[in-house]
Amino acid sequence: MAAHAKSARHSGFNTITTGEKVLRYTLLLVVLAITVSPFLWQLSTSLKSLDEDIYAQTPTFLPEHPTLDNYVKVAETIPVWSYAANSLVVAVIVVAGNAVGATIAGYALAKLRFRGAKLLMGLFLATLVLPGEVTIISQYVTVRGLGLADTLVGVALPGAIGMLNVLLMRTAFQAIPPEMDEAAIIDGATAWQRLRHIGLPNVRGMLSVITIFAFIGAWDDFLWPLIVLTNPENYTLTVGLQYLNGTFSANPRLIAAGTMISFLPIVIVFAALQRFFFRGVEEGAIKG
Amino acid sequence: MRRYWAGLAVVATMVAGGCGLGAEEPEAAAPSANASGEVKGKVSLQTWALKPKFTDYMQGVIDAFEKKHPGVEVEWLDQPGDGYSEKVLSQAAGGTLPDVTNLPPDFALPLVKQGLLLDVSQTDQKLADEYVAGGIDAYRFAGFQGVYGYPWYLNTDVNYWNSELMTKYGLDPKKPPTTFDELVAQARILKEKSGGKVYLMSRRPELGDLFKEGVKLMADDGKSFTFNTPEAAALLDKYRDAFKEGLLPRDVLTDTYAGNAKLFNEGTVAWTTAGANHITSLATDNPTLAPKVVPSTAMGTPPLYVQGLSVSKKTQNAPAAIALARWVTSPENQAAFAHLVSIFPSTKASANDPFFSKSDGTNASEAKVIAFASLAQAKMLQPVEVTDAMSKFIRQQFALAISGEITSKEALDAAVAKCDELLQN
Amino acid sequence: MTHRRWFTPWLLVAPAAVWLFVFNIWPSINTVVLAFTNAKPLGGGRFTGLANFTRVLNDDQLADALLNSIVFMVVCLPLLTMLPLLIAVLVEKKLPGIMFFRTAFYTPVVASAVVVALIWGWMLNDRGLVNGFAQWLGVIAAPIPFLTDRWLLLFSAISLTVWKGLGYYMIIYLSALGNVRRELHEAAAVDGAGPVRRFWSVTVPGVRNTMLLVSVLVSVSALRVFSELYVLSNGTGGPGGRDMSVVMLIQMYSRGFTGHLGYASALSIVLLVVTIGPMLLLLRLNRKAA
Repeated sequence: MAAHAKSARHSGFNTITTGEKVLRYTLLLVVLAITVSPFLWQLSTSLKSLDEDIYAQTPTFLPEHPTLDNYVKVAETIPVWSYAANSLVVAVIVVAGNAVGATIAGYALAKLRFRGAKLLMGLFLATLVLPGEVTIISQYVTVRGLGLADTLVGVALPGAIGMLNVLLMRTAFQAIPPEMDEAAIIDGATAWQRLRHIGLPNVRGMLSVITIFAFIGAWDDFLWPLIVLTNPENYTLTVGLQYLNGTFSANPRLIAAGTMISFLPIVIVFAALQRFFFRGVEEGAIKG
Repeated sequence: MRRYWAGLAVVATMVAGGCGLGAEEPEAAAPSANASGEVKGKVSLQTWALKPKFTDYMQGVIDAFEKKHPGVEVEWLDQPGDGYSEKVLSQAAGGTLPDVTNLPPDFALPLVKQGLLLDVSQTDQKLADEYVAGGIDAYRFAGFQGVYGYPWYLNTDVNYWNSELMTKYGLDPKKPPTTFDELVAQARILKEKSGGKVYLMSRRPELGDLFKEGVKLMADDGKSFTFNTPEAAALLDKYRDAFKEGLLPRDVLTDTYAGNAKLFNEGTVAWTTAGANHITSLATDNPTLAPKVVPSTAMGTPPLYVQGLSVSKKTQNAPAAIALARWVTSPENQAAFAHLVSIFPSTKASANDPFFSKSDGTNASEAKVIAFASLAQAKMLQPVEVTDAMSKFIRQQFALAISGEITSKEALDAAVAKCDELLQN
Repeated sequence: MTHRRWFTPWLLVAPAAVWLFVFNIWPSINTVVLAFTNAKPLGGGRFTGLANFTRVLNDDQLADALLNSIVFMVVCLPLLTMLPLLIAVLVEKKLPGIMFFRTAFYTPVVASAVVVALIWGWMLNDRGLVNGFAQWLGVIAAPIPFLTDRWLLLFSAISLTVWKGLGYYMIIYLSALGNVRRELHEAAAVDGAGPVRRFWSVTVPGVRNTMLLVSVLVSVSALRVFSELYVLSNGTGGPGGRDMSVVMLIQMYSRGFTGHLGYASALSIVLLVVTIGPMLLLLRLNRKAA
């Protein structure tokens, strides 16, 4: 059983000297400078007025006349809200499928012994190296055969249990010391009970990681939804945003604004879930 | 489907003269294609990246069609620009190709090979009378009888010069180069005056440039490539020498066809080639650059870009599909389209429209006039048989030749060998 | 160990196994079949036996592509196994504003390829920030051809891969760090171990399994690198196509309507065989270490 240990907030380990603080923030800022530039450029492009150049030898990061017009225009041009709702439906299905499917499979592969486990494990690993480049059309034919062409379920289906996520969950469950399981087995707990009371509380971090991966994968996917969906009413946000990039009409400011709009939910999901990585740290880790 | 074909054959023999299609009656009454022959029922139309800018225009065209033929219901799909080839491919593979689809000729060919498109010359005796030859020829394919699409809108390339850079570095934008050798000479002046900061040339040669030099790219039967000639090698050598002299930025080694337009937008190069609507899009991207641009006629044979509407062979509603394709590509509807954006109609009736030959003095309008004048000589510069993989390989070999890593002859021989191998497979 | 109900484990893995077969194994079997034909994307295709494979073996570009992919793996593996762990340790500690940093570090992962290409182009091209700065300092006379030289382009793409991978692997490590027992850290601190010693003696062993997984993921994705090279070379595969990775080669042949699917499938199988090697090696090394 996971025990909620004492909060370690006041232990010596958590106090930081001023010197260390300065060092940490310096390092944080260095990494920040390296990582955040594309995001800033997108943001600044999306705020630029119509009289400012977009492409230059050296990018300008500060719009001269910042304006929110581009965002308004995006919303006027395409039904952003309904596209976002479609994306959300797909993302929710994919997240739910992975949270359940990958978790239970990961647990079985990590903690239960059964015939064929090794073979299955090998196959899951093999999918990491399988060629995915030439199979998209055959995927489409499969989904169409299931009668799910032009539906959001059809878009969500192939990614609803990601093989990588199964492997990630397996790794997380493996980190739980075997003696905890053994104690529970002696107590007569079934596999399901052990999964619920020992497994799940200790893999919250990885569960939120695969949630993020699943969400972003579903949210950002472009080619697959484009192939599955025909009716523009069903379009997801990534496909719908392409309308800003027309044959004779592409305004990079609008495209950037659209990208920012689609980026926000990712930030929100990430910010909401990142606390969970630290559950173990905050509440005290597994009691050995 | 079989029955429908039989019907077509009967009709083709019956309709000796087709039917009078005056300019007032732009849509065909000809396709009394099958037994019923009435234009009604559901018909689907797929366009490529016209929403949202041309939504009103397209909707107007469709509404007028529905009004003209009561009982017809048009379902209009517009696909985003990116990934269109994959989308059409999956539709074709899944048997869900719309009745009428916007396909450029190089997309149409693979579908023709699979027997998925309708030969519209069977139903339309009048094609050649109404559409310009270049447009129709674009939808004829080596080894296949017939025409597999109604030509829709056309475009070509125009030279665009950055007058500010040219004036600043000792060139006269009113006298831009008109031949390759002049281009190199002016590029030299620009480079020297600007200390190598600015370039005039930034395009790697493509197959089309060989074609412009009179090189025969393919055998007549469309079964082998023939562009490894001494003339082709001579042109590559000229590029190699210019590159060595520093007249082209190093970017050309890894640039795509659109790369020079990008450098032009940045103000790094003073010359690009692009369609007639380029200044308009430039006004959106880089408003300060747009007024400084001067257009001129493309060097050598101007390229011809064709868009068309093809009819699916599996259509359940051939009469309506054919009528719709003719309606969208009718002179009036094309002219209205051309008034919205700088493209050119593929119908002969539009050739005398003063709109295309009159400039209002703005540089965007000049570009339109120049492009329209060029269309008469424009040709498709690259055979449709060239696949993505082939063009990529050709570009790579040309880049090697220009950088001087291999001789031009070696590059051309390797490219021809590879293309032949891919063609046979 | 026995279970009261033998089928429970099967019940647990069943959904994932179904997905595995329907969406991964089955299409792959199709790929293997295609490799022996001259299929086009729209059907057609006759059985051509080993013709594709003999062509693959004579393909000069494949040798280059394999070399590129292997260089990619060798360089990325240590960098992307260690750096994200260090960053994870850095953002693990609760400091004011840390949530902002964590989120910001993750942004490159979700940045669109087009924007990444633009930004990195500005930094690395002949007129770019890096060259401009170096020329201004007087370190170099002529610009360094980061994007137009065979090897420099490859290493530019590697930096881009590392840059994009930092945030991705960081969060995998973060979830694992939560399980490293605090008592161990405290005990080590009491013994007078500094932060560096603690990192090597407590943190690294604590996340060993995750490191193994990350190293497998890194090496597989390095061998299958595509988008970074594609983006930096504008899809051309570098000067003369010498900078293509195997996946770029596959994409070149399978793209769009006119794809040479049979050939692309044969290339996929070659890639599969090449990728399995390092993976087994890593797993073996891990077993030895254990």
